[in-house]
Amino acid sequence: MKKSHAIISVLLLVSVNTYASDALAEGKRLYNETCISCHGATGATDTDIKLIVKPRKLKESILSAAQMVKIISEGGHTYGAHSDIMPAFKYVYDKAQIKSIAEYVSQTFNSQRNARVKKHLSEANVQKIDAQKMYKIGKKIFKRNCSLCHGLKGDGKSIYVEQSKANKEFLYPYDLRKTILSEDQIFLMVKFGAHYWGADKEDMPSWKKKYNDTKLRSVAHFVKTKIVGTD
Amino acid sequence: MKKIVTTLLVAGALSVTLSAKNWVVNQKGKTFIPSKLTVHVGDTITFDNSDPFAHNAYTDDEANEFDVGMQPTGKETHMKIKSKESFNVECAIHPNMLLEVTVE
Repeated sequence: MKKSHAIISVLLLVSVNTYASDALAEGKRLYNETCISCHGATGATDTDIKLIVKPRKLKESILSAAQMVKIISEGGHTYGAHSDIMPAFKYVYDKAQIKSIAEYVSQTFNSQRNARVKKHLSEANVQKIDAQKMYKIGKKIFKRNCSLCHGLKGDGKSIYVEQSKANKEFLYPYDLRKTILSEDQIFLMVKFGAHYWGADKEDMPSWKKKYNDTKLRSVAHFVKTKIVGTD
Repeated sequence: MKKIVTTLLVAGALSVTLSAKNWVVNQKGKTFIPSKLTVHVGDTITFDNSDPFAHNAYTDDEANEFDVGMQPTGKETHMKIKSKESFNVECAIHPNMLLEVTVE
């Protein structure tokens, strides 16, 4: 009896591993069929493609595999990107295929993502303050700094964007109301800037020299509680 | 007597006006150029945006508080030094921009 259990367990393990490896191979195949033209063979955007907004370096992305599934399925615009340069692939691939692409990207190019995020969060020096105080600090900084690009409502519409467009400076701040980033991720994005997490330019700069971790965490708290989901 | 006092007052005011300087600070490459200034009360600082995108200049210093708001390319804005207190000027959009103003 014991022996048959062991055999079944081994068979199950082999079958799970085979399935995972098949899914990964399928993800690679689909990635090379579609995504490679913008994001490059190694996820480093090492391509000659000319787009207004250069595609993100997937190997530096802050997104989890589950979040990538959402972006690949619905497109970047659905989750706050200004343009639909990253289109919705749900019309091209089924759910299993999209999941396999996300897993391939996460495991092949961005395998250090979890460790990187965890390290930065554990190193953050955030003082314990009550949520109300945090909200107040975050609101003040958001109004003073963030709103100049993202707008007071966080919808990515501001005078700065309009004036920059007139000067052919391509700047497309995210509509923060639609972001799928967690509060932790928003904090890390604000602290290190979008370039650190794979964006081509420093349009969204790092604020770590200007504000301490407690203040930056307060901004993330304000955005998550007041802005996200208000569209 | 009255005439003399008036004359002296006018002369005094004129001398302050004449001695007040205008300092030009260029906003270029996401930096303030120069990045340090030594000024006097009554002086003016002109901010001149040479970058191909908008800037901002503000200080939270209470005595010299000012905020130029949004400053598009090519636009000049001015601030007058009101108090003998040194302060920093920053750009609300670009966090690495810093101008240190010493008021003597």
